Amino acid sequence: MLNNLIDISLKYKILVITLFIAIAAFGIKSYNEIPIDAFPDITPKQVVIYTESPGNSAEDIEKLLTFPIESALSGMAGVKMIMSNSFFGLSYVSVFFEDDMDIYFLRQLVSERLSGVDIPNGWGKPVLGPNTTGLGQVFWYEIKDSTNSYSPREIREMQNYVVTPLFKSVSGVEEVIGWGGDEKQYNVLIDTKKLQNIDATYDDVVNAIQKSNQAAGGQYLEFNREQYLIRGTGLYSSLDDIRNSVVKSIDGQSVTIRDVATVETGSAPRFGAVSIDGSEAVMGMVLQRTATNAAQVVDLIKEKIETVNAALPKGVTIETIYDRTQMTHKAVNTISTALLSGVVLVTIVLFLFLFEFRSAFIVIISLPLSLLIAFLLMDYYNLSANLMSLSGLAIAVGMIVDGTIVIVENSFRKLHDNPDEPRLKVIADSAKEVAVPVTFAVLIIAAVFIPLLSLDGLAGKLYTPMALNIVFVMLGSLAVALILVPVLALLLLKPSTSGENALMKSIKKTYTPMLIFALENAKKLLIAVSIIFFVLAYSLTQQGREFMPELNEESIMYRVISIPGTGLEQSTQTASKIEKHILKNYPNEVESVLSMVGRSEKGETAQANYMEVLLTLKPNIKNLEALTHKMNNDLSKSFEYVKFVPTQPIAMRIEELLEGVKAELAVKIYGDDQKILDSIANSIQNKLKDIDGLDGMEVETQLGQAQIQIKPNYLALARYGISVDEVMNVIRNGIGEEAISEKIEGIRRFPIVAKIKNAKDDIESIKNVTMRAQSGALVTLDQICDITVKHGASFIKRENLSRYMVLSMEVENRDIASFVEEANQIIKESVTIPNGYYIGWAGDFKNMQEATQKLMIIIPITLILIILLLYTAFNSISKAFLILLNVPFGLIGGIIALVVSGIYLSVSAIIGFLAIFAIAILNGIVLVSFIDELREKFPHVELKVLLKDASLLRLRPVLMTAFTTLFGILPLLYASGVGSEIQYPLSVVITGGIISSTLLTLLILPSTYLLFYNKKH
Amino acid sequence: MIKTSIITMLLSISIFAIEIPTAYTKLHSFGKSVELNSKVIQLSNAKQSVTSLVSGQIEKYFVEAGQYVKKGQKIALIESITISKMTADYISLKKQYISLSNNYEANKKLYEKGMLSMQELNKLKIEKNSMNSKIVGLQSQLKTLDIDTKNLKATTAKFTLYAHSSGRVSKLHKPLHAVIREDETLISIIKNQAFYIQSYLPLQYSDVVKVGQKLTINYLDRTIVTHVTQILPELDLKTQRIVILSSVDEKADDLFINTFLKSTLYFEPTDKHVAIKKSALSFFNNEWVVFVPIADEHDEGNEHGNNSHDKHEEKDAREHDDHDDHEEKDAPEHDEHEESSVAYEPRIVEIITQDENYVGVNGIEVGEEYVSDKSYYAKSLILKSALGGHGH
Repeated sequence: MLNNLIDISLKYKILVITLFIAIAAFGIKSYNEIPIDAFPDITPKQVVIYTESPGNSAEDIEKLLTFPIESALSGMAGVKMIMSNSFFGLSYVSVFFEDDMDIYFLRQLVSERLSGVDIPNGWGKPVLGPNTTGLGQVFWYEIKDSTNSYSPREIREMQNYVVTPLFKSVSGVEEVIGWGGDEKQYNVLIDTKKLQNIDATYDDVVNAIQKSNQAAGGQYLEFNREQYLIRGTGLYSSLDDIRNSVVKSIDGQSVTIRDVATVETGSAPRFGAVSIDGSEAVMGMVLQRTATNAAQVVDLIKEKIETVNAALPKGVTIETIYDRTQMTHKAVNTISTALLSGVVLVTIVLFLFLFEFRSAFIVIISLPLSLLIAFLLMDYYNLSANLMSLSGLAIAVGMIVDGTIVIVENSFRKLHDNPDEPRLKVIADSAKEVAVPVTFAVLIIAAVFIPLLSLDGLAGKLYTPMALNIVFVMLGSLAVALILVPVLALLLLKPSTSGENALMKSIKKTYTPMLIFALENAKKLLIAVSIIFFVLAYSLTQQGREFMPELNEESIMYRVISIPGTGLEQSTQTASKIEKHILKNYPNEVESVLSMVGRSEKGETAQANYMEVLLTLKPNIKNLEALTHKMNNDLSKSFEYVKFVPTQPIAMRIEELLEGVKAELAVKIYGDDQKILDSIANSIQNKLKDIDGLDGMEVETQLGQAQIQIKPNYLALARYGISVDEVMNVIRNGIGEEAISEKIEGIRRFPIVAKIKNAKDDIESIKNVTMRAQSGALVTLDQICDITVKHGASFIKRENLSRYMVLSMEVENRDIASFVEEANQIIKESVTIPNGYYIGWAGDFKNMQEATQKLMIIIPITLILIILLLYTAFNSISKAFLILLNVPFGLIGGIIALVVSGIYLSVSAIIGFLAIFAIAILNGIVLVSFIDELREKFPHVELKVLLKDASLLRLRPVLMTAFTTLFGILPLLYASGVGSEIQYPLSVVITGGIISSTLLTLLILPSTYLLFYNKKH
Repeated sequence: MIKTSIITMLLSISIFAIEIPTAYTKLHSFGKSVELNSKVIQLSNAKQSVTSLVSGQIEKYFVEAGQYVKKGQKIALIESITISKMTADYISLKKQYISLSNNYEANKKLYEKGMLSMQELNKLKIEKNSMNSKIVGLQSQLKTLDIDTKNLKATTAKFTLYAHSSGRVSKLHKPLHAVIREDETLISIIKNQAFYIQSYLPLQYSDVVKVGQKLTINYLDRTIVTHVTQILPELDLKTQRIVILSSVDEKADDLFINTFLKSTLYFEPTDKHVAIKKSALSFFNNEWVVFVPIADEHDEGNEHGNNSHDKHEEKDAREHDDHDDHEEKDAPEHDEHEESSVAYEPRIVEIITQDENYVGVNGIEVGEEYVSDKSYYAKSLILKSALGGHGH
């Protein structure tokens, strides 16, 4: 089949060239059109349902909102997991689905289910979260008033009614979220004492407002053959309208709102604030819709800014705070620079080795062509150009040319050896000769990366594009090598006069004695290498592990956490202090500081004790790492009373996607009663305190929110003739400021709130809130309710319908698996866990463990597949094993590099090992197949001599493939831009692996071959 | 491991970014005030009803509603048959008395000449005296009706009603020319400066409210001081509150009756309690607590590195000195924690009472040092170690 292919391509050479020109053209087109992003879309298939329920406590929200929603959604097809968080004012339910389901379909399913959920009146309405990815916040801006003539409230109004609609009209924008400032509402401040005077109740006042604010349509009147529409326009148009609403009428005298209340413009209670450089500000975030191109969306937004600025009052403008594309461009730049320099380096290497322009040209041309084929495939499979997918290409750069090198080298040699035979036949023969090993080698390389495709979750999403792209580009290179290269060789190659260049000669000079020595001491060497391998393999298990290397986004960001129950004003003050502190102490490094306190409007799960501080750095900071370190220490020293967690914008979003457990290792304790959960967590904490290897432990405090509980006293209520409903209305509307009506001003709507005057001065004032019963009795809340201050839940987290609490741990200098085993034993022995409560292990460790378990199955399967491929190629099991033996040779170098550089074993490093796997096999195939060929040709030559000659003859292609791979990967090793750290472990491993693999292939493989086949000979 | 120990070391020698002020507890007497709903009223004794003592017809009113009258001022003229009868009687009796007394004088001369017996003269004397007493009786009756008998020459039916006291005419009860019966109220006069404030007090204050306590009202923009004069034994049926009356001390004659007002009742200081500032309170593990600097030497929290130890002791000593001084000086507040970090521990307190600024508590001794303000930061320092990295 392969032979036919080669024959046909050689026959229709013009067609082949045209075909590849066309492929190149389409490839360039794809290259230009591929969406660019920093990361692959790592968001799990997830639908978020949030229900705003202002003023309500975590416990009630869990009972009345979260639980019904969760139960309605459980049991849906494709649901992997349901997680929820209930806290003050919000229920947040997140449903995770299998990854292969369509998000729009899922959203529809969820909506259908939600319509059946029974939620008590007045407790809110479940809403689907925006259809965006975890990294969907592509553009942040501040609405800046340079004239200082607008209040934060007015600016917020601009955000809600000018900026949001305009940005929302941009294609690809799912949602625009406003944050900061305060929102306007109309306060009707009721003096309850005055209710006695006019003989009315609180409900009367509320009714009065609700009934006065009405509009109606009265159909039409025909008058003189024309139609006149009839309209009742009773909606409030001014504050005086509210004031003049009639509460009741006594003897023809009307008592109006004015008599019992003052009406004023005020601000709604808020749950978040934004502070920039020490003063409060208003900002917005644009969310990108799922499966849109971030770069494009941001470009469109930027175009829109002009329109928005024109729509805003003079002096008020949109200022960019954060623009994802900057980071994207940086990341893509890093990797494309690496890719480009890889190409250049590989070209140089090729030229140095071949020392012949024509053959070098053929090999080099195969590089861009394979890459363009990969781009074509990426476009076809909707893969975006991002850090991971492009690095797949960068890793493969050196391997792309391998197939071509082998074919060109063979043709070159054959042309040199057989100058008299017809060119076509020589080229065809030499191509056919190596076609099988080349094809199998490429297939094996592709096969090696298959396990990556099986990875689940975050790792899978991150590394699948990389693996896919390697496969794409290898397939591309195979097509180029088998179809185009023979044609080009036929057209371009010339028998060269001198087969060897100076470089090769000198290399051979050193190599020959080494090879002879190796062949003489085959057995000893093999044993020595095996011992080294096992020692190193053991040391690898002792190596620290991490799931993913940290991405350097070249920015500094902090999550700042205060104690639970911290008030928003306190947090905002803290934010302002932190900002001023940073600006004062780092004037040369920091341009601006932004703090986002609490949560914005659309279903975020942060509370007022939480804030995110983002630093905008000045350009040209030399040592970001040192600065970060210094700042971390300085800040946690200067602001002892809060906790700083350094992070970065994208990393933070990724952490949020992982939902909940971000620690390396954590125990999740499941059960009903938070207090019991808390005590179990504490007792586990106590018992594990002294376990070996434990570096730190933290219980996530879910309790700790002080609550003023107002429990109706039914007897007392009966005495005065007040219903619970009335009391709850007063709590909800009068104290809790829930809107009772809306004042509509054009398209803008502002809540009208019937607040009780001075109700929220302190705890005493709540107790003294006065109610008037229908009968006239005047009572304070204290008289009809039991008012106590208690500690309640700050938030309640649930997973698959069960409450849980997290105890996170850090383990150092110890293998986590054994730690977990010991800890489990201790917990089993000394912690009493009541019925209905159970624990489970979670954390990065679990992800890693799951990934490892999966790999434990996939890797052997892959191995079998590779052996099968090798067997098919060589038709011999022992040769397949002989080639596989090369793998440990490569791993030796990889492990040494990893251990020496002190890098943790991560998924990235594992990918490096996979690449070595491929390279080692490739090296083995090239050599073994050649030895076989020679043995066939010269069956009578002594094996040792034959091996020596074969190795010497094969030295050039082996070195060339090794060096191209090495130099292809080198730019990744030395890259320093955004995203480079993810590739670093991988490139370290590959670099080490290539060196050892090449050396050992050249020395040990011939000797092993000798051991295997000496007897048979 | 190393990182955390470095950080804790840094923590312990760090300069406090937030100064946490402390103070010493002291005894404080707790007065209290409560805001009430009040109404301007006038007690019935402050309201004068001018009643016609006789029945008759109202001929004329000398006053109008709202007019200010002085004591003795004419109010109304009533034409009354009773008066006419009484005056007629009086005149006739008077005439009879005159003739009787003339007769007696003549007979007396006869007796002196011995022409009349003693017995007969006495009989005449009794007759005269009884007539006189009849006249005096009638005279006094007429006098109560303000009819001057001395000048009463002819029978009259006219009867003038006079004001008994100065005040403002609040109402004319009967229209002109109406017939009134005896004892019927004709007009009401409201005495000046006889306003009372009727306030409605929640039941829970029943045992602290005392006669004589101060109660101020806000009338328009004025604050008027009153004092509780009466605590009514009956609850207001409608509002279910205790009704207390307080009299307006100062001259205030322009209050409108039935005005609803906001008032503040000040209770007398009750017992003295150990007091802490309200800003010191914090809710911690389901209890109210105040934070106290840890004074002893061993460090409970591991937050202190060893290098801060010496400083710590030094400061302890200084604190003890301060301590003594302050007890005598009644412990003014002081800020002194600027140099080294101090640890705090929560002290559970029981709230007994509170006023605007202070809280009376059990659970802490007089003179003890406590965090008087910004207790949030002290709480943060204690709880911070338990904060997870999960803000979500």
